[in-house]
Amino acid sequence: MKFLMNTGRTVNQGVTVENKGSVEYAREASTCFMHEFDMLELGVDDGDPVLVRGPVGEVVMRVKASVEVEIGTVFVPYGPYANHIVAADTHSTGMPDFKSHEVEIEPTDEEPKLVYELMEDLGGLAYER
Amino acid sequence: MNVKDAVCPFCGCLCDDIEVEIEGDRLVGVTNACELGATKFLGGERLKSPIRREGKAWKEISYDEAIRYAADMLLDAERPLLYGWSGTHGEAQCVGVHMAELVRGVIDNTSSVCHGPSVLAIQEVGHPGCTLGVVKNRADLLIYWGSNPIDAHPRHLSRYTCYAEGFFLENAFRDRKVVVVDVRKTQTANIADEFVRVRPGGDYAILSALRTIVRGKTDTIPRMVAGVTRDQLIRVADLCLNAKFGAVYFGLGLTMIPGKYKNIRNAIELVTELNRHTKFTISAMRGHYNVYGSNEVNTWMTGYPFAIDFSRGIAFYNPGETTAVDVLARKECDAALIVGSDPAAHFPRRCIEHLAEIPVVQLDPYPNATTAFCKVQIPVAVTGVDAEGTAYRMDGVPIRTRKVLSSDYLSDEEVLSRMYALMQEALKR
Repeated sequence: MKFLMNTGRTVNQGVTVENKGSVEYAREASTCFMHEFDMLELGVDDGDPVLVRGPVGEVVMRVKASVEVEIGTVFVPYGPYANHIVAADTHSTGMPDFKSHEVEIEPTDEEPKLVYELMEDLGGLAYER
Repeated sequence: MNVKDAVCPFCGCLCDDIEVEIEGDRLVGVTNACELGATKFLGGERLKSPIRREGKAWKEISYDEAIRYAADMLLDAERPLLYGWSGTHGEAQCVGVHMAELVRGVIDNTSSVCHGPSVLAIQEVGHPGCTLGVVKNRADLLIYWGSNPIDAHPRHLSRYTCYAEGFFLENAFRDRKVVVVDVRKTQTANIADEFVRVRPGGDYAILSALRTIVRGKTDTIPRMVAGVTRDQLIRVADLCLNAKFGAVYFGLGLTMIPGKYKNIRNAIELVTELNRHTKFTISAMRGHYNVYGSNEVNTWMTGYPFAIDFSRGIAFYNPGETTAVDVLARKECDAALIVGSDPAAHFPRRCIEHLAEIPVVQLDPYPNATTAFCKVQIPVAVTGVDAEGTAYRMDGVPIRTRKVLSSDYLSDEEVLSRMYALMQEALKR
């Protein structure tokens, strides 16, 4: 299904932001908040993994029901998961479209990666595992 | 031992009423801070010494070796990028600008991916802003537009707006009205007297509709604008016109969507329009505790607030070309110095893929996502905890952060000054 992906700050993201190697940070930044009706249509429950495909790649997140988001949209806390699929175009402003990306979401059996795994996929070397 | 009036180095609120409890060389308790601030003060597991990547392994090295590596990296580069700067104090930012000029590099701060578009709008139409104190004591209408302070600036409401006492308001809590405009029904939306739910990307149209109503041309407004009814728009415009003092606080909900700085320009022009009828002000909800400072320091040193390119020997500014995301995505820079930010977690992947191909040095107390791309990381003291320095609050008020704890870590300014001295020396030869 197609969705409009929005990203932003959450308290839990802010609390764990100085500890990016933690499971808590990975859990928060890989959460895809979705309207319950969309979850029904997609056939997923709270905590199920979903494959989110954006214009420059795909990443596995976990879905969570939210009364805050509108049908047809998803919200993902700022972080390396959302940015894994965000395009770098800035339309000559310096600012990418962090809050408005069309994504395709489908259920998956894969598990979300940890932050260091995502970084190693992009050519980095994790300091701590 | 308790230290009173410590300054919180997390968000742009820069709360200066924090009390911390110190036991020996450890910070064990925090009072008055929000959850974000308390966690920052209490800290996590810091990097113990500088580290250097050698093949597929990490090796601990000395400060001297790390600082020498960083200086040589910048001297050897043809087009170095010096990025971050919002998570450090103004004195360190000053050294950064000098260093960028010396090596003819590009220096950019995190505002290019937060309120950079707001700065562009302000450069076009000005900034009818004021300090948080004025809003606290006078505002009877608050509008949070595309911002969610309960999650991002948790004490903004209690220290400066809705729940704060106001000198010129009899019963501030009862007298203040709150409007929230957002695409999500956030926690902040739940406390609003009027929640305006905009269709994603519809903010520009809503701002234009409100300007039209304020100008008395209500008949031209269709029944629905970007998912919002005309009746609600009229109610919001009436709230604005009937306020004695209104304050708009906008967030990344306006800067990160299509339209970018044009959305902010429209919001500023709505506020200008409202100032023909009553008193109104508008300001950005700045994120990092000293992102405003990075704009200030860059502006008074180079004339430009961010995205400054010294390759011509003079300061050149062209957002979209000289901004960090663009420089990295075009694979243009051949070395990067990162200070007080974590681009690997917050930049699009194409930028990170380029970081993996060039030498990177980072100054940060903690291992973070960018660590994975570093050749060298130098741990530094945390400003506001074991280092002091000047930071600018989101309303432009400079506040001296305090050192509440002693440690052996060098501050950002000390590390950068030592690097700068080595670079000056090398260039003299």
